[in-house]
Amino acid sequence: MKLSRRNFLKLVGAMGASAFLTTYKADLVKALEEVKDYWHICWLNGAACTGCTISFAQSADPDLVQILTEVLVGNSGLPIALPDYMETIHVASGTLAEELKERWKNSKRAKILIVEGAVQDEGFCTIHGKDFRDHLREAAEIADYIVAVGQCATYGGIPGAKPWDGEPNPTGAKGVQEFLYEVGINKTVINIPCCPAHPDHIVVTLASLMLGVVPELDKYGRPKVFFGRNMHKELCPYRPYYDRGIFITKPGEEGCRFKMGCKGPICNTDCAIRKWNNGTSYCVETNICIGCAEPGWPDKFSPFYAEVTELPRVLGVGAETIGAGLLGATLIGIGIHAVRHLGYREHKRKEE
Amino acid sequence: MAKVWVDPITRIEGHLGATMETKEIDTGKMKIEVVDKAYSHTNLFRGFEIILRGRDPRDAFYITQRICGVCPAPHGETAVQALDHAYNVTPTPTAVLIRNIIQAAYYVYDHLIHTYLLVGPEIGIVCKYPPMVPPALGKEGIRTLGLGSSYAQCIDIQRKANEIVALWGGKFPHHMSEYPGGVTVKPTGDRIAQTLTKATEIWEWCANVALKDLMAIKERNEIVSERLSELLGIEHRAFADIGASWGNFLSYGIFPDPENYEDWVRAQDGEASFRRSAVIHSGSWQNGELKPLERDKIVEYVKYSRYKDEISGKKPWEVEMTNDVVWKDKPNAYAWAKAPRYEGKVHEVGPLARMIVTYGLNWKIELTNPVTEESVKVEWSVMNPKGSVIDRVASRIVQALLYATKIMEWAVQLKDYASEYPIVNPKIPDYKYVPNEGEGWGLWEAPRGALLHYTRIKNKVIANYCCVVPSTWNLGPRDDFGNPGPVEKALEGCWLPNMSVPEVCNLLWPEEDVLGMKWGDALANAISPLGLAEVNLEYVNGAKYNTSLALAVVRSFDPCIACGVHTIELKVRK
Repeated sequence: MKLSRRNFLKLVGAMGASAFLTTYKADLVKALEEVKDYWHICWLNGAACTGCTISFAQSADPDLVQILTEVLVGNSGLPIALPDYMETIHVASGTLAEELKERWKNSKRAKILIVEGAVQDEGFCTIHGKDFRDHLREAAEIADYIVAVGQCATYGGIPGAKPWDGEPNPTGAKGVQEFLYEVGINKTVINIPCCPAHPDHIVVTLASLMLGVVPELDKYGRPKVFFGRNMHKELCPYRPYYDRGIFITKPGEEGCRFKMGCKGPICNTDCAIRKWNNGTSYCVETNICIGCAEPGWPDKFSPFYAEVTELPRVLGVGAETIGAGLLGATLIGIGIHAVRHLGYREHKRKEE
Repeated sequence: MAKVWVDPITRIEGHLGATMETKEIDTGKMKIEVVDKAYSHTNLFRGFEIILRGRDPRDAFYITQRICGVCPAPHGETAVQALDHAYNVTPTPTAVLIRNIIQAAYYVYDHLIHTYLLVGPEIGIVCKYPPMVPPALGKEGIRTLGLGSSYAQCIDIQRKANEIVALWGGKFPHHMSEYPGGVTVKPTGDRIAQTLTKATEIWEWCANVALKDLMAIKERNEIVSERLSELLGIEHRAFADIGASWGNFLSYGIFPDPENYEDWVRAQDGEASFRRSAVIHSGSWQNGELKPLERDKIVEYVKYSRYKDEISGKKPWEVEMTNDVVWKDKPNAYAWAKAPRYEGKVHEVGPLARMIVTYGLNWKIELTNPVTEESVKVEWSVMNPKGSVIDRVASRIVQALLYATKIMEWAVQLKDYASEYPIVNPKIPDYKYVPNEGEGWGLWEAPRGALLHYTRIKNKVIANYCCVVPSTWNLGPRDDFGNPGPVEKALEGCWLPNMSVPEVCNLLWPEEDVLGMKWGDALANAISPLGLAEVNLEYVNGAKYNTSLALAVVRSFDPCIACGVHTIELKVRK
């Protein structure tokens, strides 16, 4: 079936980058045949830690070399296509690097802008003598697609967090969508959060853009296909422990991580089934979920070792006034479970 | 004579620029332009320590990893060591081994990706060594010319190293599993077995490909030296003669011995220490003289950094600093990084510092793979006692192999320890526990050099947090006395040829033996369609400056600007 925005969710589902590219290889080739060109990507870094670039380099199947030599080359006849601009891996530095960015702006084929890192107030991040805000604004004005990767570029992340002593954020950092609205650019940003962004999420999104398909987004700009399900409710392998009321409270125990502060119940991401680093593991297998796929991270999810029910900054209000929205529903769910646990324990006691 | 400005410097982490003032020197055979003075511009500021104020102290493990996505694991480790110290607990031997495995696997990835993807290309090009040149001709070029063969394989191997990190840490970048007094991940048989399998493959690649690449580069560098000396009319040992800094090297040590953790903690307590029980020792090497590390000899200067002068010359953790101390438009300041000094002297930190402090100037190391029982002997005599591009590359490759060996030794050891010791010190009662008060230092090494975290806990939250990170040591600006930082010093004297990269290559390698062409012409054919014919060239008043060698010098320090410029220390105002 031909991929479209409407059927994207159904068709792509939990597909990894490898399965996606295999399935839609013919469509990709066809889409590329029209123009003898490669895919023009400009990857900008703002207030970033470069973790998303490194995460992208952990892409397993296809790996980085395959992406550059097979996926992005399009029908250009080139043996390899680098992003036109990408500070961390590009061959060119200095003046030539900036010239290549100008060339990206003038390319006739679809221009994809990828942004890593938050956008700050003026004067905190300069590249080639120009503020990052200006670099971003100019690129965003002409880009056909804008993809924000990682927590910082999507929602401000840690650079946008507030100190807990009442002081303001030191550099006024925010996500790309918010910045674009602020400067009057009315374009949709595809948000791929998580800290760092998952390489599969990046590669599948890029490939679908090449097919001309913008994945269906939720109200926070995230592709529903990756961020449409609650990890705790629908995907977590430790869920059976939760249902039976077996919780870890001390290091070294085995059970559900809820009481040590796992943020799975308020986090929508497919990490639990997609896993990380070539399907090796994911956070909850070695510790807890800290909620990095959600807007408002890290502040609303801190302290990371506090139970969801005890978070002081959730929804921007004190814990005592929580009662509405997603979290409210989740908490009611937890309440129901707590009752069930009691029942289970009673039941067990009777058996003994 | 001219002011050559390169910004952005790519293939590093973060936003870095450099200004180089040149001078002309007459070698007797030709007039060349070399760098007279250099200035390192660190161009980003985020204010991590401000953001940490008032938070749960344990959040620092997660938040400080996000200082840098290239070296998150060492930041997390250092944060946890500072927490151990502040909690007054030691990690159990099982936990020490697991932490060591995570960090060592992480190191292998970092050293390899830096060697091949970041610093390697210029070295491969100048030395006419195709495996280390990026695969500009794609898969066909890899097959026929070996162009980028090691580069492409490195991507696969670094990924496998990170799979080991993910096994024990949930994911990479930003692993999850360290905790005050230990770890939160269990040493299962499955994890140990998978670690051994992956490490074996990594070890073989390091021993059979990376080490051979190093030896090939060394050999070809000798040919380049002969031809360069002939060309310039002065003795020039190519990559062994560029990138010398001050001859002072500082290391904090890494990979503690689980059986001798008291030795490790002494340095954190502020005692003079060599940490000789660890795999890599701590100490300050000052042009041949080795002294033990003393924590309190570290100070930071800010005359040329964008902070108010009143904080200059103090111990980083003693500075009372608030948002008001940031001075965005400070006149004459040219960097966001500060200038840390040890015993008042400029010190280089990083892979070469670790090797020199631990092994001196001549390294003879025999490494046996505990799984296959294969052995390799590594020998290297430091070619320039003040540091050079090639010595730094050698340090990374040797350490990648050393740590790949250690991962397996520790994984084998872990099998016995796991049944004997818990994963967290039993003094930690549960996940609710945070001490009311405490103060701790973490002293560790990121791949790019010495890393310090300091945390002070008051009323169960962070009252003050401070990081002194490797790229402020290496990439920082001049100090209050005008002494240039290590990279600024290392750029001095570097030749900026007035020719393009292919032209330089044609001069150094006149043989027509690459597809019937000279090396430079073959390169030009490969890179021109990618729009890279003018790579590394900067023009000043119509004159051409090739910055390849200068960029190799900067990259040989493995700059990580996100680390270097996050820094700002704070104490809660009373």
